[in-house]
Amino acid sequence: MKRKHGSIALALALVVAIFAACGGGGSAGDGGFNTGREITVVSREDGSGTRGAFIELMGVQETTADGSTVDRTTVEANIANGTSIVMGSVAGDNYAIGYISLGSLNDTVKALNLDGAAATPGNVLSGDYTLARPFIIATSGAQSELAADFIGFIMSAEGQAVVGGRGYIPVEASAPAFSGSLPSGTIVIAGSTSVAPVIEQLSDAYREINSGASIEIHVQGTTAGITATIEGISDIAMSSRPLNDNELAALDPVTIAVDGLAVIVNNNNPTADITSEQVRDIFIGEITRWNEIG
Amino acid sequence: MATKQLEGFMKYVFMMAALASILAVALICVFLFAGGIPAMIEIGLFDFLLGRQWTPVDTPPSFGILPMVMGSLYVTLGAIVVGVPIGVLTAVFMSHFCPPFLYKVLKPATQLLAGIPSVVYGFFGLVVLVPFVRDHMGLIFGGNGSSIFTASILLGIMILPTIIGVSEAAIRAVPSSYYEGAVALGASHERSVFFAVVPAAKSGILTSVILGIGRAIGETMAVIMVAGNQARMPTGLFRGGRTLTANIVMEMGYAADLHRAALIATGVILFVFILLINLAFTILRRRGRS
Repeated sequence: MKRKHGSIALALALVVAIFAACGGGGSAGDGGFNTGREITVVSREDGSGTRGAFIELMGVQETTADGSTVDRTTVEANIANGTSIVMGSVAGDNYAIGYISLGSLNDTVKALNLDGAAATPGNVLSGDYTLARPFIIATSGAQSELAADFIGFIMSAEGQAVVGGRGYIPVEASAPAFSGSLPSGTIVIAGSTSVAPVIEQLSDAYREINSGASIEIHVQGTTAGITATIEGISDIAMSSRPLNDNELAALDPVTIAVDGLAVIVNNNNPTADITSEQVRDIFIGEITRWNEIG
Repeated sequence: MATKQLEGFMKYVFMMAALASILAVALICVFLFAGGIPAMIEIGLFDFLLGRQWTPVDTPPSFGILPMVMGSLYVTLGAIVVGVPIGVLTAVFMSHFCPPFLYKVLKPATQLLAGIPSVVYGFFGLVVLVPFVRDHMGLIFGGNGSSIFTASILLGIMILPTIIGVSEAAIRAVPSSYYEGAVALGASHERSVFFAVVPAAKSGILTSVILGIGRAIGETMAVIMVAGNQARMPTGLFRGGRTLTANIVMEMGYAADLHRAALIATGVILFVFILLINLAFTILRRRGRS
């Protein structure tokens, strides 16, 4: 009996020791930044509009002469399926690098200056910050009266003010005030998860002045939204990437805003500036450690 | 008379209820196979099952799911290595060594473990396990913490309640004459438990392991948050990998056309895995009875 209690006490002591070891070790690991450590590359999943725009703009995607394209993103990259997960991963890992929409940036992570330009809406607008993609809506030729009126609203001064308020960059600096006919009816808008938040705010603002309008927004990804619009299931497609030639044959695109992509690192990372070539080399796996960046 | 009619009527109500689950399984089968088989044929069965490249948005795309099959197998194997020894020893302890006051705490604690939603496990893994593995193992073994190793530990913890619960029930079901006989022959308490009682509960313990495998292979949310999700052949314990379930969940939102069909086909493979596990479970249970 005595031996039994002794062994239980020993087991409990072991458990306590393990927890103590964990706790002590955890706090010691924080703080100092070791530039010799490997870079944790965080990318988005295949098919994501953000990933599509990033790999195209940064030259991570390679197009060969025969028209085939290869996404050269390093196979070692961690894959996160959402902007918030990318930010969470980068915020929790001193050595991580990722990319997100500029409109989603907050102080949990640090945006790097790209080729000497800070990631701000102003720099995107002036063209100094080159990593930016259009937010596009596209319609097939025969659009309803309501769809046309809603697009008119988006491109008006009121609509572009909503776009600017979200942290995106309006495309029409001096848009005319809205003067639509406000028809009633129902339209369906489908597509990109990145574009959907701004479209939702635009539709809320539009319905305040046109109570007869019903706008359904289906968030299912760029490609699915475009397909639905070509098939006539939805009236307007939301796209976070330029349309390809097949899609352009069936749809008319309108750029409603420009969204910068921020290259983000952990707040503990001392790096402040990076070049496009370095970003590309990191994402195709040719630069793997932080001390390889000057 | 009215009672008899009611009884007859209720019989059909119960039958409908029983048929509902069968109908659900049948519908899932139809959906999966109708969506997945054409994609497998279009990609080519061998290219699909044995291809090592998963690049769905390249032109031309490749849809090889071998990396994900291996990822699922490794992560599940790791979960078994972590979870089975701890789980079975816990079951032995709880049934034969545990003082009653401790049992009153241990039993509810293991049951509570089963009730925690998997996304909470995943979050625990993301904020506790991943940084721990990165800071303590990363310096020696490399990697960034999101790895097969981390996923194995997390899944090992997640399958504990299944293994402990089923194993403990199996050990307790062994007639007390086994234990008494061993003690009467002069064996110590420990020797009687480990060499007479536990071997007698072998098939029940194996059943618990198979149920644990089933839970581990189907887990999605927790694995996505800690495994890194790289779609390439696993290259090491401390490197990331992607499981079949993660592959489906991560890309379904954006997939179109053949990409989408390939993800459904991934579901078919997962379904076949689960069928095999259930088959093994049934065979074991039959053998245990006879």
